[in-house]
Amino acid sequence: MSTLRPYRNAVRASLTAALCLSNFASQVAERHNVPEVEAKTSPELLLNNLVVARNKDERVLIEPSINSVRVSIKVKQADEIEDILVHKFSRFLSQRAESFLILRRKPIQDYDISFLITNTHTEQLLTNKLVDFILAFMEDVDKEISEMKLFVNSRARSVAETFLVQPEAKLGAITDRERGKARFAGVEG
Amino acid sequence: MLLLDYQNVLIEAVLTERFSGAPPVSIDQTVSDFDGVTFHISTPETKSKIVVSIQIRCYEDLVRYGAEQVLNREYGSLVIAPEAGYDFSIQVDLENLPADKEARDELVRNISLMKRNAMAAPFEQAYQEHYHLKEEASKFTSEEAPQGVREGGEVKAIHYREEEAIYVKASHDRVTVIFSTIFREETDRVFGKVFIQEFVDARRRAIQNAPQVLFRNDPPLELQGVPGVKNTGTGEVGYVTFVLFPRHLTPQRMPDVISHIQTFRDYFHYHIKASKAYIHTRMRSRTKDFLQILRRARPDSEEKERKTASGRTYKAGS
Repeated sequence: MSTLRPYRNAVRASLTAALCLSNFASQVAERHNVPEVEAKTSPELLLNNLVVARNKDERVLIEPSINSVRVSIKVKQADEIEDILVHKFSRFLSQRAESFLILRRKPIQDYDISFLITNTHTEQLLTNKLVDFILAFMEDVDKEISEMKLFVNSRARSVAETFLVQPEAKLGAITDRERGKARFAGVEG
Repeated sequence: MLLLDYQNVLIEAVLTERFSGAPPVSIDQTVSDFDGVTFHISTPETKSKIVVSIQIRCYEDLVRYGAEQVLNREYGSLVIAPEAGYDFSIQVDLENLPADKEARDELVRNISLMKRNAMAAPFEQAYQEHYHLKEEASKFTSEEAPQGVREGGEVKAIHYREEEAIYVKASHDRVTVIFSTIFREETDRVFGKVFIQEFVDARRRAIQNAPQVLFRNDPPLELQGVPGVKNTGTGEVGYVTFVLFPRHLTPQRMPDVISHIQTFRDYFHYHIKASKAYIHTRMRSRTKDFLQILRRARPDSEEKERKTASGRTYKAGS
């Protein structure tokens, strides 16, 4: 856990620095104003990409440009079940991208979720709150995933125990079954 | 509510109402149960004669393992010729019910257990085979037992769903029940793996005298050479093996154990689905929280009209 705080601080600092955007019309097409980080029409408008990595499974990619920043997050996936949960979660959010304003509908390759912040967003919204949101998001997703995983495991356990104890229950092993039930109730409540 | 009931609740409800002495009405109801089983409750002739029919996709398999004897034993004089399109029918005459309320409840319960009773046949047969083999085996020491006794009886296959089957095999010291189960989705497969792991571990942890549970993705050795078992190698099919030890095989416990093990597949899948649903609602609420946080980033620039307690209005800051 000790590396978590420096990791978050680094992300916060890099993001705040990257979110220095200005309105910039396209140099290629007249009367167009597109996020340069997506269009990639003129190399001089793109800045250097930056990866903040805690370890090989947990990292944040920040791609700055003159009028937009793309932030992509890779969430830790230790095993199959976390993998599924992360995948479901990011899909769930992407489907609601409309109401999330800064969420990119499709994460970029190798990452689980991407945000696209343009100069319009920084003009309309408070920049420091946007950074807060992304940080809170990272934190909550981790927490949520591990909680869901715990839930699935403990449910599986009580389900298995209840099923296997049942034939015994009639012969007096009722205590085991009730213990299983109590545990289950604890999980739900 | 963790466990599933053995009986069909709808049939139980309909019959309890009919048996309670209410005036007879005509019924024509189709009732579905797990594993694609369909029931039909009707009053084809007169309102007082209720016919209950059952249709099971693996009825042929079951008949081969003695389902008819079991059903005849359970329902005796109630059995009539099967209704067209169904496999087995019974008829109850409302004017000829047992007078005693308890006996009537017992009858309702027995009828609602029709699926369980039909499916029980191969298990009962396996139990009998086990008793027989045990007796045979007790005549020999373990080394010199003839091949047949040591290997146990043939594998009984019940193809109760399109691609899934139950295999039952008796031998002199155990009865093995194998469920093949299929996972259509990657998510189900992963959840299934977590759940089944707990089944496998439960014995080691808390419940020493529970049946042993094994899980593998390729067909277990018991099923070698059984027609219809193929190794897809994709991990889509899982084989869950229950090993029932002599402790579970006493005649007193037979009905309970049979009822219980039948519900395994449905119970297992039911809980996988339930967990998925729970996680879905959880994600939904979490998404709402995220939106809330994002909304905080929006500066409240609009001037709002607010009211003081006394009812005067004023403009709150910009």
